[in-house]
Amino acid sequence: MNKPWLISNTFHHSEFKDIKALVHAKNQQQVTISLCLPTLNEEKTIAKEIIIMKSELMTRFPLIDEIVVVDSGSTDNTLDIAAEYGADVYAAKDILPHMGHYTGKGENLWKALFVTSGDILIYLDADIKNIHHRFAYALIGPLLLYEPIKYAKAFYDRPITLDQQKIRATGGGRVTELTIRPLFSLFFPELTQILQPLSGEYAGYRSLLENIAFPIGYGVETSMILDIYEKWGLNVMAQVDLDRRIHRNQDTKALGRMAFVILQTFLKRIEKQKKIKLNTALFNEMIQYRLTHGDYEAEKFNFAGTERPAMIQLPDYREKFYPHRPGDPGATPPTA
Amino acid sequence: MKAILKKLPGFVNQIKDIQEVIISNILLIGQVPAPTHHEAARIEIFLERLADAQADYCATADFNIPTGIIRGTSDGTRPPIFVVAHMDTFMSAEIDHNYVITKNTITGPGILDNSVSVGVLASLPVICRHLNLKFESDIVLAGVPQSIGKGNLQGIKHLIDTWNGPIRGAVIMEGEELGRLSYYSEGIIRGEIICNVTATNGWEHRYKPNAIIILNKVIDEILTMELPQRPLSRIIIGKINGGFKHGVIAYDARLGFEIQSDSEHMVRRMHSEIKDIVSGIGHEHHVSLKLDIISSLTPANLGFRHPLVKTTVTVMKTLGLHPVTDSSESELSIFLARKIPAITLGITEGKNVHKENASMKITPLFTGISQILGVLKAIDSGVCDE
Repeated sequence: MNKPWLISNTFHHSEFKDIKALVHAKNQQQVTISLCLPTLNEEKTIAKEIIIMKSELMTRFPLIDEIVVVDSGSTDNTLDIAAEYGADVYAAKDILPHMGHYTGKGENLWKALFVTSGDILIYLDADIKNIHHRFAYALIGPLLLYEPIKYAKAFYDRPITLDQQKIRATGGGRVTELTIRPLFSLFFPELTQILQPLSGEYAGYRSLLENIAFPIGYGVETSMILDIYEKWGLNVMAQVDLDRRIHRNQDTKALGRMAFVILQTFLKRIEKQKKIKLNTALFNEMIQYRLTHGDYEAEKFNFAGTERPAMIQLPDYREKFYPHRPGDPGATPPTA
Repeated sequence: MKAILKKLPGFVNQIKDIQEVIISNILLIGQVPAPTHHEAARIEIFLERLADAQADYCATADFNIPTGIIRGTSDGTRPPIFVVAHMDTFMSAEIDHNYVITKNTITGPGILDNSVSVGVLASLPVICRHLNLKFESDIVLAGVPQSIGKGNLQGIKHLIDTWNGPIRGAVIMEGEELGRLSYYSEGIIRGEIICNVTATNGWEHRYKPNAIIILNKVIDEILTMELPQRPLSRIIIGKINGGFKHGVIAYDARLGFEIQSDSEHMVRRMHSEIKDIVSGIGHEHHVSLKLDIISSLTPANLGFRHPLVKTTVTVMKTLGLHPVTDSSESELSIFLARKIPAITLGITEGKNVHKENASMKITPLFTGISQILGVLKAIDSGVCDE
């Protein structure tokens, strides 16, 4: 009897700590690997991520071929620092400028597909305080060592920083438990096996990533899972336990906005898949209230639900990556 | 030695070329808390990093002292040279140890005392390979636990006392300040005066004494002691705590102090005087007043004319550094007390050394490391062999 996905496709980072073996597998498969760090005002953490990845996975072991920072418009020293420590730095607005520019993590990830060259891309959030090279090699591991796996996602025991000095031992993942897990349970019970679908760290083959659409904001993690699941099934996915991740805590209102965008993305997809039929158009504004001088004041946040098309549909992209097949839509989707 | 002095300024940029390896080691080791007596987790990662750096040998000696060796070319016919950095810090494990890096700084608890040095220690095999630097002697890289405060230098004492065979010389790395050159140690006695007032009402007290006020009397008495300018002697009142809350008299209080002098005789005399003060005030006020000695060191001095000191000054000047001499009551005193030539050097610049926001500069570190390599080469060429 086949093992359930949760058993067969869940790994621990220690299973991939033999980095030499990963380099060997990479060379045998003749693939290249790009690390992409999407940023917006990350001057406190960006240097650490670049330094450790460069030292451990480029200088000591040639596992990663390039580190690319794609920035949404930082006003602090993020870009200077990233360049100082040797990353290739891009402003998202300068990539494919004729396609316009949106601010959001999803936009940066999508545009990174155009400026990176690796066959495998690793996306890591740039606000990880306890960064370690396992965050990258453990996500690359399943892709290099297990044939069907084309996409790997991180999960953690996630302590969150409460203030300057105190760390809560467990916690985080509120949007996961209150929004995405109930939705998966209702519509895609199989996907509940993904323990932290909203984690910001994942790696995937370009051949997958270039074939899916990218919402420009918070919805990108949700859409990625739903689209990969729809096109190639659960077996091309894996999840890796990276132990601890310490990151900035977000307040409940910010998480509320995140949940809004995730719901928006989710509903759009399940309607497209004809799982539900909405009889009305959805509003694009998240409305929250605050008390100011004794009055309730509405704060409205507009989320248009903008999505970028699959990168493979762009002629510029096809010309750059598949110059010998200009009319060809490009990659052949991997089989599950 | 002249050939090395000529090459030394060029080392600075060559070391910068592999800065990410060095900074990674500083981060990965320094972000693991290591308060004195609780260094095990940091020791484990330090050894892991030494092994990753392909040190020729790495293991923990008994007492859980991690050591690595860069093998020399003399096949053991020359005694080894030690490079030492203490593993422990003053920072509690509860404090967030995640460091912040900017273009030219690393900020976080314990970075200057002494995580930067431990990170550099773990990087030395890579740095030497990168510079194609070889030594006749084995270079022993020792991260010593139980060094500071109540650690009372137990780690280094144990390592040296159980080391089989002679030691050619030693360099002790401290985070700050680049330019520091220590080749002598003052005699010290580090102690605590502990006052306890019984919480129950007894016949001996008409008015309950206050432990903080009692310690205040002790301080007043200490301040009246006559301390000579020569041999230079002083008493540092360094720590005090006590009491429970604002509206209740303090039943317990504790005073930390250190006696420092160039003369062992003076150290003993001042200790004896403080003992008399403590016993007199305890008796007079009917309180429990105790003097505990945490650690003591005898004074030792390599002397400015020692070839190791003179060559170190030359190395520093070659790198554009202005040597500032100061005493060091650290691993240095243990080496000197055992007649092993040794010096302590600072390896970078920084600020807020013992605060949670301690911050070190990255650029001067490469000069600091070059200086260490220059001194190791000097010892290897025989300046300590006379």
